[in-house]
Amino acid sequence: MSVELTKQGLVLSTNGLSAGYDGRPIVSDITIEATPGKVVSVVGPNGSGKSTLLKSLVGVVKVLEGHVTVGEHEITNLAPEEVAMIGVGYVPQIDDVFPPLSVKENLEIGGYLLSRREIPGRIDAVLDFFPKLKTMMTRKAGKLSGGERKMLAMGRVLMLSPSVLVLDEPTANLAPMVATQLLEEFVRGFADFGSTVLLVEQRAKAALRISDWTYVLGGGKVVLAGAPKDLEQNPLFVESFLGGSAPSRSTSNE
Amino acid sequence: MSVFLSSLGFGLISAAVLAIATVGFTMQFAVTNVLNLAYGSVMINSAFVTYYLNYHAHLNAWVAMIGGVFTGAVASYLLNRFVFTPFQRRNLLPITIVIVALGVDLCGTFGLQAIIGGSYFSYKQSLGREIHFWGMYFSTLQLIIMGICVVVLGLIHWLLKYTRLGKAMRATSANPNLARNSGVRTQRVISSTWLISGALCGLAGTVFAMNTGVFDATSAQLYIVLMLAAMFLGGPGSAYGAMIGAVTIGVATELSAGYFNPQYKEVIAFVVLLGMLTFRPYGLFGSEKTN
Ligand SMILES: Nc1ncnc2c1ncn2[C@@H]1O[C@H](COP(=O)(O)OP(=O)(O)OP(=O)(O)O)[C@@H](O)[C@H]1O
Ligand SMILES: [Mg+2]
Repeated sequence: MSVELTKQGLVLSTNGLSAGYDGRPIVSDITIEATPGKVVSVVGPNGSGKSTLLKSLVGVVKVLEGHVTVGEHEITNLAPEEVAMIGVGYVPQIDDVFPPLSVKENLEIGGYLLSRREIPGRIDAVLDFFPKLKTMMTRKAGKLSGGERKMLAMGRVLMLSPSVLVLDEPTANLAPMVATQLLEEFVRGFADFGSTVLLVEQRAKAALRISDWTYVLGGGKVVLAGAPKDLEQNPLFVESFLGGSAPSRSTSNE
Repeated sequence: MSVFLSSLGFGLISAAVLAIATVGFTMQFAVTNVLNLAYGSVMINSAFVTYYLNYHAHLNAWVAMIGGVFTGAVASYLLNRFVFTPFQRRNLLPITIVIVALGVDLCGTFGLQAIIGGSYFSYKQSLGREIHFWGMYFSTLQLIIMGICVVVLGLIHWLLKYTRLGKAMRATSANPNLARNSGVRTQRVISSTWLISGALCGLAGTVFAMNTGVFDATSAQLYIVLMLAAMFLGGPGSAYGAMIGAVTIGVATELSAGYFNPQYKEVIAFVVLLGMLTFRPYGLFGSEKTN
């Protein structure tokens, strides 16, 4: 690979964080940490506040209490564009591309903070990682398939060689095969490049397989945390997330 | 046949003026989500700055036009900065902005009328030689206006397609949150949009007044109907759609004026607008918000 894909990761951590909409907290008392070279995942049922948590890290949702830091930087309530500048790449759960713009233009916007001369080289580096995108550079992002679109969404954040990747359900709406490939090849790949990866996933089994550490969110709080192999031994976790008897929608995937 | 051709000639010039106006109007809506119903009053105020520079400061009308363009840009920027943005920040219903814009439009139009009075004005400018081909008549002035239109639309195309700012404008229009997450300072992009679209507004006002010949403070009051029709015909939010919509509406209204009564221009445009809203709310070509 000609250029490095991501920068050396930085530690992303929160301390007693609470966040929500219109001053009402949806998530509260969240203390988590993601470290370089590791995939840290957050799982939990629908509506438990996973997306809200991620949004509060990247400046989209207001932090009401507590702190967020990346490396040496405190990023609590920084504007989204400043969070991007510090090296945090965020792929939202929905609205993750610019549909009317071509694939190439989406990547160019991803590299908005780079100088004009740097952009072609970065696009090449991203295309080396997602070769499938090479053949569709002039296609409108709105016309891509679900899997292609997610690759583009990730490619867009890779344009700035982020130190930290924050990914919100990258496998939502993807066929199981594509989802597995996306997680095992690409998401795990980012961490293996030395980047810090914070991943929200509905597919608990698949998430555990590529994670180094997992937080379980329930009702806006961290209710369980541990290494995947320990969680797999935890009866409570197995019952609610890995296809036990508890009726939770999050078990239906995989 | 000759009514058809002469009306078509008129239509092409009206279309050129309307295209310049509608592209600016559409950019404001697409990038900043403001349906700026005060656009017409900024146009006519800019036209009067051109008039002042032309008539009282004795500048050539084309030179004076620069003042009109400048006025449109600055006035639109200030309007966004001190009126629309503060209202948008409060997260009110979208209709609020429309009502505010309507109020600004009335203040702009009748404020101007209070200053200059109710009489008619025209630029000190010759129409130039008359040129005719294929049964259509054009004055040199009209040909220059069409030339300006082609150049301006070409520049806008270049801006949107090939420049960093233009791509950021389209990205902000498509998904402002994601644009910010990508490092785009959308507030600056929005300010630039108001400056550029405001310049188009000032230019449109001046060429509108030149093309009309005589004008007063209320001359552009109904122009908003033509712009809305052209915008919805091309698909709201699409600059290219606006260009095509403007040509269609410009030609259609002048043809109808040639055959029926010129007074019905806005009515025709309004019928087209209603038809579009009913049957093709995303425009003739658009599926949703397209760029
Ligand atoms: N913009 C918003 N304004 C107000 N409340 C919101 C907003 N977005 C989400 N919520 C509420 O916050 C709660 C958590 O939503 P969130 O999207 O964070 O859940 P999630 O864990 O990501 O769910 P999913 O698995 O379905 O993506 C929900 O009750 C939701 O209704
Ligand atoms: Mg979610």
